Amino acid sequence: MSVDHDHVHDDVAVRAAALEALLVEKGLISTDAIDAVVDLYENDIGPQNGARVVARAWVDEAYRDRLRQNGTAAIAELGYGGFEGDTMVVVENTPEVHNIIVCTLCSCYPWPVLGLPPSWYKSPAYRARVVAEPRAVLAEFGLELADHVEVRVWDSTAEVRYLVLPMRPQGTEGLAEEELATLVTRDSMVGTGVPLQPVAAA
Amino acid sequence: MGGMHGFGPVVVPGCEHVCEEPWEARTFAMSTIVGIEGIGHGGGRPIREEMSPEHYLRASYYERWLWSTEQRLLRKGTIAPGEVDDWVDRLLAGEPVPRRIDPAQAARDRAATSEVSPLGEARETRFALGDRVRVRRWRHAGHTRCPRYIRGVEGEVTAVRGTARLPDIGPYQGPVEPVYSVSFRSGDVFGPSDEPGWTLWLDLTETYLEAA
Repeated sequence: MSVDHDHVHDDVAVRAAALEALLVEKGLISTDAIDAVVDLYENDIGPQNGARVVARAWVDEAYRDRLRQNGTAAIAELGYGGFEGDTMVVVENTPEVHNIIVCTLCSCYPWPVLGLPPSWYKSPAYRARVVAEPRAVLAEFGLELADHVEVRVWDSTAEVRYLVLPMRPQGTEGLAEEELATLVTRDSMVGTGVPLQPVAAA
Repeated sequence: MGGMHGFGPVVVPGCEHVCEEPWEARTFAMSTIVGIEGIGHGGGRPIREEMSPEHYLRASYYERWLWSTEQRLLRKGTIAPGEVDDWVDRLLAGEPVPRRIDPAQAARDRAATSEVSPLGEARETRFALGDRVRVRRWRHAGHTRCPRYIRGVEGEVTAVRGTARLPDIGPYQGPVEPVYSVSFRSGDVFGPSDEPGWTLWLDLTETYLEAA
């Protein structure tokens, strides 16, 4: 990807290009280093990684236990770890507990398993409201929970990052781990959604 | 921002995107590489909080990152005031962004993103699991990781996460302290609500807490 100078259409885009030009001119940052990091977070690091962790936990009770005990180490077993995933805690949804993650102070998010956060996660609206009216926010995502379910909101205020382990959907007993992973959405691992039903994934 | 009012709905058109435009991804990458290569001073997160509130809220997400990246480079002396402005003028005059290829740097920076520095192991802790604690009320100037909405609220210690430097000094250069997971009841934080009660779980450094 390169900057298309015929179509820079606002001051910020021009300023970002100017900073890149300056750093390249000074020999401090190379064009391909920027490309490499962009490519990494666009293609290799994303919610597909977290989906593999969740699917493994659904089919392997011993792995699920290791995730509960030490999220960082269990996630590293599948090859994931790095910036913004230094210390990982996996929080498990049950029929009684529904977990949601947020960072009210900035935009802390578990990059190695979910990639970079979507706009809504970084928005002032989400950061302000999900701690103060979580069910109203979930309703905007189309998620209604029974009154008896305890909603737990995890505010990522220190160098700990969270991953929600959603409940395995009903009717998936015959599916292989790889098929299960296709049901695991990003939002289901943040807590603003639940996994797809197998019909929807077919 | 926890508990602030007036921001409207969370789910709005376009909110699913990670980046809207190419410059945002490139800004993210530059910010990351500035850290890896050690050519900036200070961290992006506390520096972004130095933006005036009206600037912070008006700026887009990666606009804040661009601003903090420029600040880090200026503070290290890597770039001089006015140098970015000069390049803005050159680009607007039609000059292209120069290209430079350095496969070694690309490989180095890509690999560095998989490095981790987990929390330290907590040996001595002031609080134990099940302890009732209250978040200290204090007026702090500058960076903190203790949200305003939780100060003065009583909760329960539910886990010891490890140790980290107190973020408020330096920032991130304070003494090494235990970090606790503390759970709070929604009614204690926000008062009565139309919603069934929920719980809030925060990771808080020991200095932020006192016995309840």
